[in-house]
Amino acid sequence: MFEFELPDLGEGVAEGEVLAWHVAAGDSVEEDQVLAEVETDKAAVDVPSPVDGVVRELHADVGDIVATGEVLVTIEAGEAPESESSTESVTGSDGEVVETSADETAADGRVFAPPSVRRLARERGVDITAVEGSGPSGRITEADVAAADRAADADDEPAVKSAVRRVATEPMAERRDHTLATPATRRLARELGVDIDAVPTDETRDGEAYVDAAAVRAMAEREAADDEIPDEDVRAVTEQVVSELRETADEVGAEPTPIEASDGDRREPYRGVRRTIGEQMARSRREVPHATHHDMVAVPGLVEARERLQPLAEERGVHLTYTPLLLKCVAAALDDHPILATQLDTESEEIVYRRDRAIGVATATDHGLVVPVVEAVDEKGLLELTAELDDLVSRARSRDIAREEMQGGVFTVTNFGAIGGEYADPVINVPETAILGVGAIKERPIAESGEVTAQPTLTLSLAIDHRVIDGADAARFVTTLKSYLSEPTRLLLD
Amino acid sequence: MVVGDVTTGTEVLVIGGGPGGYVAAIRSAQLGLDTTLVERDAYGGTCLNHGCIPSKALISASDIAHDARNAEELGIFAEPAVDIEAMTEWKDGVVSRLTRGVESLCKSAGVNLVEGTAEFIDEETVRVAHGGEGQGSETVAFEHAIVATGSRPIELPGFEFDGEYILSSREALALETVPDELLVVGAGYIGMELSTVFAKLGADVTVVEMLEDVLPGYEDDVAEVVRERAASLGIDFAFGEAASDWETLDDGRIRVATTDEDDDIAEYHADSCLVAVGREPVTDTLGLENVALEPDANGVLSTDEEARTDLDGVFAVGDVAGEPMLAHTAMAEGEVAAEVAAGEPATLDHQAIPAAVFTDPEIGTVGMTESEAEAAGFAPVVGEMPLRANGRALTLNEREGFVRVVADADTEFLLGAQIVGPEASQLVAEVGLGIELGARLEDVAGTIHTHPTLSEAVHEAATAARGEAIHTG
Repeated sequence: MFEFELPDLGEGVAEGEVLAWHVAAGDSVEEDQVLAEVETDKAAVDVPSPVDGVVRELHADVGDIVATGEVLVTIEAGEAPESESSTESVTGSDGEVVETSADETAADGRVFAPPSVRRLARERGVDITAVEGSGPSGRITEADVAAADRAADADDEPAVKSAVRRVATEPMAERRDHTLATPATRRLARELGVDIDAVPTDETRDGEAYVDAAAVRAMAEREAADDEIPDEDVRAVTEQVVSELRETADEVGAEPTPIEASDGDRREPYRGVRRTIGEQMARSRREVPHATHHDMVAVPGLVEARERLQPLAEERGVHLTYTPLLLKCVAAALDDHPILATQLDTESEEIVYRRDRAIGVATATDHGLVVPVVEAVDEKGLLELTAELDDLVSRARSRDIAREEMQGGVFTVTNFGAIGGEYADPVINVPETAILGVGAIKERPIAESGEVTAQPTLTLSLAIDHRVIDGADAARFVTTLKSYLSEPTRLLLD
Repeated sequence: MVVGDVTTGTEVLVIGGGPGGYVAAIRSAQLGLDTTLVERDAYGGTCLNHGCIPSKALISASDIAHDARNAEELGIFAEPAVDIEAMTEWKDGVVSRLTRGVESLCKSAGVNLVEGTAEFIDEETVRVAHGGEGQGSETVAFEHAIVATGSRPIELPGFEFDGEYILSSREALALETVPDELLVVGAGYIGMELSTVFAKLGADVTVVEMLEDVLPGYEDDVAEVVRERAASLGIDFAFGEAASDWETLDDGRIRVATTDEDDDIAEYHADSCLVAVGREPVTDTLGLENVALEPDANGVLSTDEEARTDLDGVFAVGDVAGEPMLAHTAMAEGEVAAEVAAGEPATLDHQAIPAAVFTDPEIGTVGMTESEAEAAGFAPVVGEMPLRANGRALTLNEREGFVRVVADADTEFLLGAQIVGPEASQLVAEVGLGIELGARLEDVAGTIHTHPTLSEAVHEAATAARGEAIHTG
């Protein structure tokens, strides 16, 4: 029998209110399955089961306040009886068990679902042969496909849940329930992403463990040195939050606008990639207060650098473009201004500073805008970046690109100048904080020491999430970026 | 490239304007893709010009003549005069109305129409040769190509089509006179449909078939109804014989020799001989040797469920992509190919494809037969309604035929139907819809069907499969 105590749900949180139970006594649960939703003063949190087993007793009602460390639920650990849940789902409304359906529809690999439902499954990327139907004799309905789609999304959840659990329960052995610390130390711990209850200390005050600022810093450094599992976890949580926000946003934004068309007008379906782009853009504009900073920089240094490197690259069989150079400059500028490489976690109300320099490159394709992500730009050489860019972009154009390859960026670059235009007003690729639009490199008049000369210049349009940063941050970042672009040899300094 | 060639570009190039090709082109244009359709002969392909449509026109016309002549039982005594030229003119009118319709549909959808024969130069371009020699050509670069070149009648060795003595189905449909004696080689659906037409128009028809019955591929009790009716129309059958040789005679007729499995030879005299032994995909005009694409052993361009061939960016739809060689299959494939080219998540996941044979009486089938259902792992249950117990059938003076539905015994999901009788080609649509929707026997049984119609027989067959038939024991 496993007495599951309410884990620490975040620093300084001592209690939570049970908002909802997702299980009842007698239910079998699997590890990571959500048991309850508990609201703290910070956020509502799903509490996952740490074990497989059967729920024996719930120790709180909805609305009860449960203190951290208090027993929340009793679980009889052991293998969750598989058959129980699966027969349940094929039980008809009158209680008659329709056991044959799954077997019989499997004959010939045949799926019993109307064409409209099969199309929905294709559109949502759901394998319809794996969907269990709730219609007569197990016929698959629209609702079944939608449910399977949500379940597939939720498959990503265990990582998130276990992340919460890991933070919450795993370090219990070396983790305290309470820690004494000054408010300044608590704030420091928060900024550095350190769990103050996990900071080792020998000091005590009034019999309670006491942590000082130095101990917090030491812990932060150790965590940075370790391979940053918390960062991964934060990203997972962020993605989860984003996908939930997206669902909410989809529901909110679902009100249709009918358009009357007359003869000679033409209708085209709004589907697939086009609609995905549309939803992403609408969400970005809806949720993110954009501010755009425009600037121009003379880049004879960049042009010269490319001209000098180009023959060397050609010897290695690589055609060097400006894009990898630009990405290197952006990565360097991000290092100088890490606030631009952040993501806003609105659920935990934290700004997540991303350590990696994975940069999205907006790519126009026949089927619409696609943003493949080049990982670890800061760690790669120009040749490697060029090869990777070529590969990603060409696969994006031929639609041979995996979803994961378009995720995980911390910043996006869009090269609108490739097609034309001086300045643009790019839309931020949420949940990122900023996006840089780049115009064409061409000669423009530059006034210098009382004279106007024609010099190769580059126009820059940086859109920022004004919730996270202010215009001054944007201007500072662009100024740094300009310094790298005008004199790329500066990249060698760091 | 030929000097003087003009190169144009298109997002989707469709080769062939039959049912697969024109549907692909229209759908592609609807989806906003720049689309070019190349047709060398006539819009609508074999279906509209030399197949489905002209044959159905002649079948209807010959039915009217035959029915009028054979309605004594109904109290009607008539001997209609048949003017074949006028009949042909009417048939040609129907055809040209439809082909003009296809052309204008393509145009109003914004499809760029090009006349000529397209041949691959490489994996991104075709050369379209216009008309005959010296009429020039143009080069078209494409992003996606949809091959819809269709099929042609198979020629038996030694029986090259000449349009006078040895006829293909295409030529038989364009005859200006009815032969006194017609020999038909092949008792498949084309052979049987045309034998029936010519028998009803007064020809003395003999059918020679290599196999042991008419309509290979159809169940025995289905074929039997058609064979017996054909025999009552005066059509003679010789089974187990293959046409081996022929010659012209002094009287302007021909003598055709057949051989059976014991090498015994039989001889038939006739005015002409229709050879209908199947159709083969047309790939020889495509210049496939210039690209990495080869037909399989059956001459078919094999495709996946998105209608893609082995060659990137090249689709194949309709008869050129193999069996079933049916116009409606071609249309469905054409639609999917266009949608896939446009980036839509389309796929050929149809559960059942209906097929119709316009013999007397008609045959309509869809989905699985009982034995096919067993082979696929189902435990089938079958319900049957003989048409002699259907009021509407009797008022049509028809007593033969039946409706049979096949379902899965445990789930009652509809799996197939075999229908023989008047309007079987129409009746089968209901079961097709049921199969696609995942309908069960009870759903059909619980649907009120109009009385008095033939469709009641579908209802009754469904109730029979559930052991609840009212009108049949």
